[in-house]
Amino acid sequence: MISRLRYTFREMWASLSRNLTLTIAAVITSTISLLLFGGTLLIQRAFDNQLKLWTGGVEMIVYVKHGADEAQVKLVESALLSQSTVVESAVYCDEACSLDVAKTLFATDPSALEQLTPQIPSFFKVKPVDQDSSEILRSLKTEFSTLPNVTDVRTPDDAVDLLGRLKSFFGVRTLVMSVVLLFASALLIWNTIRTAMFARRREIEVMKLVGATNWFIRLPFMLEGLLQGIFGATLGSVALLLANDNWTNGVKDFPVNSGLKAFVVTDGYPVWVCFWMILLGAFVGAVGSATAASRFLDV
Amino acid sequence: MIKLENVTKTYSPDVTALQNANFDIAKGEFVFLVGPSGSGKSTMLRLMNRQERPEKGAVWVAGRNINDMPDAKVPHLRRNIGNIFQDYKLLANKTVFENVAFALEVIGRPRHVIRQQVPAVLDLVGLGGKQERFPHQLSGGEQQRVSIARAFVNRPLILLADEPTGNLDPATGEGIMRLLDRINKTGTTVVMATHDQRIVNMMRKRVIQFERGIIVRDQARGVYE
Repeated sequence: MISRLRYTFREMWASLSRNLTLTIAAVITSTISLLLFGGTLLIQRAFDNQLKLWTGGVEMIVYVKHGADEAQVKLVESALLSQSTVVESAVYCDEACSLDVAKTLFATDPSALEQLTPQIPSFFKVKPVDQDSSEILRSLKTEFSTLPNVTDVRTPDDAVDLLGRLKSFFGVRTLVMSVVLLFASALLIWNTIRTAMFARRREIEVMKLVGATNWFIRLPFMLEGLLQGIFGATLGSVALLLANDNWTNGVKDFPVNSGLKAFVVTDGYPVWVCFWMILLGAFVGAVGSATAASRFLDV
Repeated sequence: MIKLENVTKTYSPDVTALQNANFDIAKGEFVFLVGPSGSGKSTMLRLMNRQERPEKGAVWVAGRNINDMPDAKVPHLRRNIGNIFQDYKLLANKTVFENVAFALEVIGRPRHVIRQQVPAVLDLVGLGGKQERFPHQLSGGEQQRVSIARAFVNRPLILLADEPTGNLDPATGEGIMRLLDRINKTGTTVVMATHDQRIVNMMRKRVIQFERGIIVRDQARGVYE
């Protein structure tokens, strides 16, 4: 048993070092494809986090006509709160409060602020009960827009939709790319093992004729492919963790209203993704080499 | 030890390598398979170690019909059969010792057995002092001796030799035949395909002659005709 193990590892190492260029190519392809695969999962997760933040803090802004008196404002408020099944709360911000908000939002654009100031409306911040449905947000928007003295109703439904579409757009494309690259990586590992076996076909023929089993012959080659897959996946995982750290640290410096604050993955998810990347790398390496190693054994 | 019953082997509808071959080879026999190129000698050897399977008939080796043998059992069959080739099939990057040890290593023999058996068999074939040489540092006759040592190191029941003297000069070829004769005297059955008339006539062993895949002569203590 020990002599078999010694033989297997010795032959695996000899084959790896003999085909160094092909080995490096196979490892790099595995690294890139698995990095892309892991990156896809992290991007999807970041979109999910961003969506959670947006939908979790969804507020409708119901603008009330500039100069509306207290009675008119009360009328709007009672109309909003009468929809208790769909409206959780409605907080009023008068024209002075509205001007303060505008000053913050237009801090870098004084001319816009100047134009807005004479006609600044007051507004209600309305928090819907169901914040996840853009359809409900739209129907509320339509309903509240018809209230007397209400000039406009703004909801983030379009932004939520856009983010969902972006998630699907990037998610599908990066996933397709990573699947194609994974396939390329399996093919490259297959080719590396086939080349290694072709170079040693005479040796394999002798092994078969003196009574070596197919598994005995196949094992060093399969281990070689497995190692290439795992090594590529490990490099990809390290690269992914570094890239994720770099992104997370970079996003910290962006302003709150940049929309990027939640576009990060900071929980244990990246480590979990790396675990799957290594598992997938091992699988691709083992399948690629096992199919390749079945050739040249037909003696 | 080896028995063929109505064996027919075809490679394509137009190429029949063997047709209805029948013979028995007893344990410890030395048999020459003779005939011109393409007459079916090598196919016969390939059938005996299950490199090929016949379309019809049965090939019995050591009491087992090897045509019905599952693929997984074939390596175990081959551990009882040594193979010697005209082109030696030595591994150029391994020393004499490693080439012979390789045959034991790949069937999982422990190191101490290898260290014991390889020098012994190299002494037997007359290469005791050349263990560390590489094949390219040896003459043709010496390379064939390494090939014989590799085939015999596991003490197989049968040795199959395909034109082992084909690449050697007459004197070296005689030396190889003396070695095979010595191995045969230890009880190993030797089946050798050849068209070396001189050697067949010198050895006076059983001769099975093939012509276009048909056995035309099976003669004890025969000569080349």
